This record gives sequence, structure tokens and C-alpha cells, in this order.
Amino acid sequence: MPLNRKTIEMKESKKGSSGIPVAIIILVLAVVVIGGYLFYQRSKPAPKANTASPTNTTAANQRPQPNYATAPPGAQPPNTLGSPTATVTIEEFADFQCGSCAAAHPVLKEINSAYAGNKNVRFVFRNFPLQMHDKAYDAAVAAESAGLQGTSKFWQMQDQLFTNQHVWSVSTSYRDLFLEYAQKIGLDVEKFKADMSGMQAKSRVDQDMARGRALAISSTPTVMVNGRVVPYAEVTSAGMRRVIDAELQAAAQPAQTAASTNNSRSNLR
Amino acid sequence: MSDEEVQPGGSDGIAWIPVLAAIVAAIGLADSVYLTIHHLTAVPVPCSIISGCETVLTSQYAEIGGIPLAAFGALAYFLAFSFAILAAFGNRTMWTVFGLQVTLMAIFTAWLIYLQAFVIGAFCQFCLLSALTTFTLFSLFVVSKLRRSGKLH
Repeated sequence: MPLNRKTIEMKESKKGSSGIPVAIIILVLAVVVIGGYLFYQRSKPAPKANTASPTNTTAANQRPQPNYATAPPGAQPPNTLGSPTATVTIEEFADFQCGSCAAAHPVLKEINSAYAGNKNVRFVFRNFPLQMHDKAYDAAVAAESAGLQGTSKFWQMQDQLFTNQHVWSVSTSYRDLFLEYAQKIGLDVEKFKADMSGMQAKSRVDQDMARGRALAISSTPTVMVNGRVVPYAEVTSAGMRRVIDAELQAAAQPAQTAASTNNSRSNLR
Repeated sequence: MSDEEVQPGGSDGIAWIPVLAAIVAAIGLADSVYLTIHHLTAVPVPCSIISGCETVLTSQYAEIGGIPLAAFGALAYFLAFSFAILAAFGNRTMWTVFGLQVTLMAIFTAWLIYLQAFVIGAFCQFCLLSALTTFTLFSLFVVSKLRRSGKLH
């Protein structure tokens, strides 16, 4: 194809103004870099304000959820680690498909093993699958179905679901993956399958959800210590220890009088 | 008449489609720089019944190998902008490179929209703006090709 008028013009203009486009590009790059840097500096105080906010919110969180004692109890018996008579109860409402819950999982696991020897601390896991996560409810049912074959199986499945979240949550054959996990942790797979479609596991999930709704849970994970919501930013190894230790101390002091012990015990239920 | 103005490489040697593309790419660039900074300074948030940008930006999909996805976006928009500017001043090879790049960007963006809709379950308005700019860039490229082939016949 012969060069047309336009191509020739282009060649000419390219020659005549080759410096201009480069200048424009460099100018824009400079604007972006400088503007971006200034904006970054301005935005930086934001996380500072946020790390400060837990201290602010702690004050607000001093009082437990008003209806903590009266809310529906959730699935009975709950999925618990630790002594049922513990004075400090950590209660987590979680969604197996929620990335933040998977992120909080190792933190809480670490906390649970750190306090495993302390009979004053117990951990309760509550299912709170959010509607926006299409596989979360089924995952909760899977965990509860595993739990029907023994408490330790529940925790093993819970661990499987969180650690493999990135796999099954994006898979259309996630149910098959659940079966795989069931096999891996040594479940009776046929019973697991039957329980997955049965009512017992589902009703446990539903009861947990009813409790969550009554406690006005609006996000997952929501971690409570003795009914007080621990702000999500505080759900770290250090943050959780701080809150738990404070509660342990608070529980130890009034324990000297029998009356207040009873009082704090009844709050936990 | 408008066809006359529309011709790439008009009498002043500047084609309007690449110029428009450069402007759109600059918007995308500003948006992704904003998102990158937002990502770097954001505190992780839980999954919320009311979901939004934080959910998306702090999701596991917001980073590739520790680098914020938005930073890749910023780089891509900067390249797209550069190619468009060079094309606007008559470098047609750059327009082809631009076309290849925005096609890849459009495909990737489609996947990101899928992630937001079906996996994360939350939409981030600034990510959607980025999707809009990418699709606009892609459309501009397609339009330029259609116009050219239309003119040749």
C-alpha cells in the first residue's frame, strides 16, 4: 500500500514535534509522583488516627452488649474450647467465606493455644454466614456436620475451611472440596454427606445466626470478650492478650466476694 | 463533516481519538494512584453487611505478591497514557501497542468485576471508575479501528 497523505503528514509531524509528547509524558509523570507523594503524606495520619481509635472505642466498649445475657443462646452446646466454667469467654462470630475471618483465624488460634492451659478462659465459635457470600452458609453447615462426629472434628474442619478459603471460595465444585476436607480429617464421609443435607447441622447454624442477629452483629469477624466487642483493629495477638488479661484481672478481684463471682458468672451465660 | 474532523492525524497532525484516550488514561492514572495510596494507608476492615471500598481493597485479591493491584493499574494507565500521547503526535505503532495493552487491561478488568460481584461480594466505587476508564480506552481503540477500516473501503 503506498503511503497516503496522512502517513506522510504523520511522519512530518513526528519529526517536527517529537519532543512535545515526551515532554507531556514527563510532565504528567512528575505531576503524578509529586501529587501522589503529597497525598500519601496527607493520608498517612489516617492509620495513626485509627490506631488511636481503639483506645477511644475501648471506653465505649466498656459496657457489654446490653442484651448479651438475654440474647438467644445460639447452638447448644456451643462449639467451645476451654472450660465451660471459665470467667473469660471469647466469642467469635465468623463467616467462613470472609477474608477478614480467615485473616483473624491464625490470631485466634494462637490466642487459644496460648490460653489453653488457663481454665479461666474459653473460646466459643459462632457461625454468622453473611448473605453476600454465596458459599458461606454451606461452609458453616459443613463445619457443624463435622462437629456432629465429635467436637475435635468441628475444630479440624473449621481450620480446614479457613486455611483453604482461597481454594473453595472460588471453586464451583466447593462441595466436593468439603468432602475432601472431611476425608482428610478422618470423618465418616457418608455420614458427613448425610449431615450436610440434614436438619441438625443447619439448625445449629441457624441458632447461631439468630444469636448474632439479636446481638446486632453487622460484620464478621466480630469478637467479643465477655460480651464486649473487641474492635477489629484490636483483634491481633497483642490486642487480644491485652483485653483477655484485663478481663482475667477484673474477674480475679471480685472473685474474693462470692456474690460478685456469681454475678460475673451469670453475665457470661 | 464530522467525519473530516474525526480522521486520525488531521491537518495539525494530532488525532482526536488518541488525545481523548490520553485524557481518559490520565483519569485512570489519577484514580489508580488514589487507590494505591488508599490501599497502602487503609486499615483492614471486617466483612460487613454494608460493604464497600475497604472490603475490596483489603481483600486478598487486592495484592499480587505484596504489591497493591492498584499500583499495577497506575503503571498500566501511565503506559497507556504515554502510548496515547505518542500516537496523538503521529506515532502509529504506539497506537497499536496501546490497543494491545488496553485489550489486556479490559480482560483483566472483567475478571476484577467478576471478583467484586461474586467472590468478594462488595463493590468499590473507585475500582468501578477504573473499570469504566479501561473499557472507555478499549472502546476508543475499537472505534478508531472501525473508523479506519470504514474509511479505507
